[in-house]
Amino acid sequence: MRLSILCLLFILICSPLFAATPAGPDDKTRCGVCGMFVAPYPHWVAALEMTDGQYFYFDGPKDLFIFYENLATYQPGATRDQVANLYVTEYYTARLIPATEVFFVVGSDVLGPMGRELVPVAGREAAATFMRDHSGTKLMRFDGRELLDAQEQP
Amino acid sequence: MRYLKILEYALASLLRRPGKTCAILVVYTLMIVVLASVLFLTQALKTEATTMLAGGPQLVVQKTMAGRHELIPVSAVEKLVEIPGVKAVKPRVWGYYYDALTGTNYTLQGFDTLANELSLLNGRLPREEGECAIGAGVARSRLIHLQDELILIDYDNIGRIFTVTGVFVSAADLLTQDLVVMPEGPLRQFFGMPDSLATDLAVEVYNPNEVDTIANKIKRSLPDSRPITQSELLRTYHAVFDWRGGMMLALFSSALMAFCILAWDKATGLSAGERREIGILKAVGWDTGDVLLLKLWEGLALSLLAFLSGCLIAFILVFWWGTPVLGGILRGWSVLFPALRPTPFIDFYQLGTLAFLTIIPYVASTVIPAWRAAVTDPDEVMRAS
Repeated sequence: MRLSILCLLFILICSPLFAATPAGPDDKTRCGVCGMFVAPYPHWVAALEMTDGQYFYFDGPKDLFIFYENLATYQPGATRDQVANLYVTEYYTARLIPATEVFFVVGSDVLGPMGRELVPVAGREAAATFMRDHSGTKLMRFDGRELLDAQEQP
Repeated sequence: MRYLKILEYALASLLRRPGKTCAILVVYTLMIVVLASVLFLTQALKTEATTMLAGGPQLVVQKTMAGRHELIPVSAVEKLVEIPGVKAVKPRVWGYYYDALTGTNYTLQGFDTLANELSLLNGRLPREEGECAIGAGVARSRLIHLQDELILIDYDNIGRIFTVTGVFVSAADLLTQDLVVMPEGPLRQFFGMPDSLATDLAVEVYNPNEVDTIANKIKRSLPDSRPITQSELLRTYHAVFDWRGGMMLALFSSALMAFCILAWDKATGLSAGERREIGILKAVGWDTGDVLLLKLWEGLALSLLAFLSGCLIAFILVFWWGTPVLGGILRGWSVLFPALRPTPFIDFYQLGTLAFLTIIPYVASTVIPAWRAAVTDPDEVMRAS
């Protein structure tokens, strides 16, 4: 009995912490751009959170950014101000984290469900390792508005 | 309606020749049983190996010295956890034990190395020195149960007594069958293995896409190690079972040839009576097409019956009876065999192939000679007989 109360307390206290990342797609969720099912590719899932709490899921960061760059095409009437957050699945830890916290490696030999991908890697050192291991050609990062070249930035 | 009438006639004509029908049916069924049970068993063993390995680590690192497996220093763990993408590295302690009493080999495992078999345990896992949990095979061969004592001889030739606190009742029987589990400390003492060494290292990886890259990096940072990935292991098991299945089929191929000759002979050699029957049917107004349909129905009825009953018998043989003959040849990498009750699993693609390779040739070999008899003049056919 006491254990269950403790567990409940723990969940209540921790739930705001977990709430920071999206719950993840269910079996029927389709990619917002290509229409493929998202759930079979847990290591590539990307998500876009709107300010009204609505989530869009994608089967890779590439489709996420296609959606984000052409918001008016895919979600008529929506503006970028209505986008709250972008999430991508970090390559090495397979966790969904905000897109602003990772580097995107372009041109690597790691292929996603939709072919060549912007592979999200957290940390400059890990990104350098990834570029060496998988012959990436370019490093980019997302500043909250757009994708930038990250080669020169500290 | 006409088709049904012809079907009725075909079945009646099969029943009119019970001897011939039965002979073909029995031999045909037997052949299907042999083929299908080899296919079923190979497939079931492959599925079993897959489920068995699915619970294990994605990557195992062994140390080799002079090309042989060696104990790996536990200190290597620090080098491995630094590699990006590695979730955890666990040193595992396990080894083999030859039990002279029953003439069987046991696998002794340290407690920490067990992944997720907890729920498959009857009783509880051992907690302290002098306790152990055993697989069903060990329990059977030693005739011991829960709370009984298991005596094993350690590396120094001293008998040690362990109380059995749990018996594994795993679904994937092959894995836990010959297992004896005890806490890591007592197991090290039993084997005389120093604390600084482990049998191998189990590496957990976050992203399965990265396993091969990590294996390469491990090979580079520990040149005397041998990283084995789960997919490699799986491929090896599948290759072994496929190879054994192929050997079995090769052994049976002479029997298959004998069947083919018999079936060909029985089915193609139209007897004088049958020729006359075709002649009479044509004389009373049957088309060549009707005669062909009649023969097609006959062949189909016979081979479908043989195929279905053959598959059914093979299924029962493999999944209920536990494959009395084939099992021992197909599996078997240790002395202590589990009672083989593979999880029923049917690959429809394989069944389809089998059906295509047996039913179509048989039907063809019955229809073609009938067609040759049917196109000749009925008068000539009847006169010739």
